Amino acid sequence: MTSVPKSGIDLWADDVLVDPYPAYRALRELGEVVYLTHSKLYALTGYDVIKDALADPTRFSSAQGIGFNDGVNQALKGTSLASDPPEHTQLRAALSENLTPRALRGLSEQIKADAQALVARLVKQPSFDAIDEIARRFPIGVVADLVGFQGEARANMLRWGQAAMEVIGPMNRRTAENFPIAGELYGYCSQITQEALTPGSVGWGVFEAEKKGLVTEGAARHIIHQYLGAGLDTTLAAIGNIIALFGRFPDEFAKVREDLSLVPSAFNEVLRYYSPVHVWSRVATQDVEIGGMKIPGGSRIAVILGAGNHDPLHYKNPEVFDVTRNPIDHLSFGYGPHGCAGQGLARMEGAAIIEAFAIQIKSFRIGDVARVPSNVTVSFDTVPVLELEAV
Amino acid sequence: MIKLILDRLRCEGHGLCEEVAAQLLHIDDDGYAAIDVVEINDAALATARAAARVCPVAALKLVDDEAS
Repeated sequence: MTSVPKSGIDLWADDVLVDPYPAYRALRELGEVVYLTHSKLYALTGYDVIKDALADPTRFSSAQGIGFNDGVNQALKGTSLASDPPEHTQLRAALSENLTPRALRGLSEQIKADAQALVARLVKQPSFDAIDEIARRFPIGVVADLVGFQGEARANMLRWGQAAMEVIGPMNRRTAENFPIAGELYGYCSQITQEALTPGSVGWGVFEAEKKGLVTEGAARHIIHQYLGAGLDTTLAAIGNIIALFGRFPDEFAKVREDLSLVPSAFNEVLRYYSPVHVWSRVATQDVEIGGMKIPGGSRIAVILGAGNHDPLHYKNPEVFDVTRNPIDHLSFGYGPHGCAGQGLARMEGAAIIEAFAIQIKSFRIGDVARVPSNVTVSFDTVPVLELEAV
Repeated sequence: MIKLILDRLRCEGHGLCEEVAAQLLHIDDDGYAAIDVVEINDAALATARAAARVCPVAALKLVDDEAS
């Protein structure tokens, strides 16, 4: 048995969070498993080991939480996120039932029309910030309409959604500052009533299911909490990345404009190229051997999705952004029993924005983009769109 | 004989399998995967593997059924 290589890289250092890919490469080159001495975590860095771990809840458990601090792992107890099969199976079904592509079928045309209308308003302006005007605005509208939120919740969704992701990180300053805000979201959801939600919405329907005994009592509020916690900051990152990448690689945007059948492939490549969620966690339930190296049972594991998505052993020339690549097996939605329950909705939102850009915009340039450090979601804080030429 | 097996409880109908292996399976009227070709011959093996690999919730697998 060879010993696990060690690294002093801190995944949550500010300079790593705003540009994580050089660190991922350094870790991958050390090994597919690396011990992070700073955080006392075993990191999985290669595509294959990540996919195998996510497919194997028996050895790589979520039941002790998927976050990097005890507080969040305690708070998530009893949710589908922080459980293993068989307990997980029913919790997951209750969460995902309204999010399957079948359940969302009727929503697709509305989302497309909303994206077209949003972009139609923006192309009349010579410049705008794509994060403020699109990435922050569009998913809020989609999720609020879907869950049936009105009033107070709509105004707070962005803050709440960002805090819910931030607190998954290790107990650093960002996590500490965001716990009270994540608590506001929890407090709101724990008191929400069916009457507060738009009749016929998915959130309203979850309460109906609870009344009929189709989901366990009290589950409706947990489910709504998860829709809000998981569905915003992630999609915000993905949509901002679409525009940042099309701006940086105009030839690739031109390919999509010329052939709209490339829209799904382009979105997969955006998700592969910049993983919205860069790291997630599991705990090894027993000693696990990977490539001759041993991870001791009980170890907390950092599953670095962003590193796997740039593994040259799986994706040729991973640093090349190629809209024709169609990396349908990327890791940005995770994989296996805990694979992102909202991925069907996320695909609809991403495709709708790409399509609206491709149809209505001939060309644009982007100014200086900026990221702010964030524990779990890697997103742009500003992407100025300049010199836009409409079709 | 290699067989392509679907875990129906796990399938959520994301449809990526159909994108890569329409000759082996389809999304049915209920919106979930339905396998059309269960027994996978050598010619179909690569496609079946691709279908299993892209399923985002790992609901598809290939099993070697020779023993039974």
